[in-house]
Amino acid sequence: MNELVIALGWVGIFAPMAIGAVASAIGCGIAGQAGIGAILETEGGYGRYIGISAFPSTFVIYGIVVMFTLDREVTPENAGGLFGVGLFAGIALLYCGIWQGRACASAINAAKEKPEIFGLSLAPAAIIEGFGVFAFVFALVISAGIPGAV
Amino acid sequence: MSSDDAYVMLISSLPKPEALFLAKQPPLSRLKLDARLRVLAPEDATTLKLVENVLDWRRLPMGLSDREVIDRGRAVLSRIENETLQTIVRERLEIRTCVAALRRRARGEGSPPLDRPWGFGRWVGQIARNWTDPSFGLDGVFPWLREANRLMAENDSVALERLLLEQSYLRLQRLAGEHSFSFEAVVIYVLKWSIVDRWARYNAEVAVRRFDDLTEAGLADYATLSFEGGA
Repeated sequence: MNELVIALGWVGIFAPMAIGAVASAIGCGIAGQAGIGAILETEGGYGRYIGISAFPSTFVIYGIVVMFTLDREVTPENAGGLFGVGLFAGIALLYCGIWQGRACASAINAAKEKPEIFGLSLAPAAIIEGFGVFAFVFALVISAGIPGAV
Repeated sequence: MSSDDAYVMLISSLPKPEALFLAKQPPLSRLKLDARLRVLAPEDATTLKLVENVLDWRRLPMGLSDREVIDRGRAVLSRIENETLQTIVRERLEIRTCVAALRRRARGEGSPPLDRPWGFGRWVGQIARNWTDPSFGLDGVFPWLREANRLMAENDSVALERLLLEQSYLRLQRLAGEHSFSFEAVVIYVLKWSIVDRWARYNAEVAVRRFDDLTEAGLADYATLSFEGGA
């Protein structure tokens, strides 16, 4: 039983980084495709389309930071905490990444028709980023209470 | 990525059409549109063709009977699995049924027979039962039907065409809000493109007819003048 609990602890440590990477890959993939489509249709401003499509890459960075914060010797006493915080931080980052990718794709799609709304069209993506930051920051805060912090 | 994001690149590469009736031509040529649509998965390309074939009059062979048109519609609906696309096809065919009924009535024909097929969809029986009502008792479903009836009675074919295209376009517009980058969004774009294209062509045809009329009228005056001058 202890082995399983310890394994779950390790899952919790690595989950935010791995799931964050998946989130960024999917989000950047969706937004990147929209950027390429917009490049086909427009005559300039390509750089900003590609720039927007890189927005969801932040989630893997948040995941890496959470992973290093959770990284400690895994014991039966702290494995549950590591698993819970790590896994749910990862799930939060995953959803934020995917939906930010969609929001960025919509922003690119709208901005290519009306360049003047470029800044405003990024507001939804920025709000989603805020939710990701909540998950990230409070994962760091709560991890301080898990036994075994270095 | 889910099917909701299947065609992000394709949708982003398609220019938004200008407002209907303001656009003098579609935002891109059919040739260019077809080139963009090459990224569709083979089964999606087949479905799109099915939908276009059944909704575009120009693709229907001339001389089809009512029954053949209805059978075609049913056959296409049975082959389309996507619920949104089924709704689009069904609603457009129902609109055509209403317009066909208006035309029948305008020609002075009586209530259509209930024993043989003459229309498509849920309102066929309702139309036959309310044959003398200007909107066939369908005001709640098609609020524009009364206006269409008036325009048909006044023989204002341009305004009637405009009204029908506008209704179809608005319906697609509403559905477009629910589908951003999916296959449904692609089909909706292509159908909207077709409506803009149809209006642009129709407008051009009307303009040519008007030009011909004016030219004839002008030449008639000129012939009279020269005749008078020669006399």
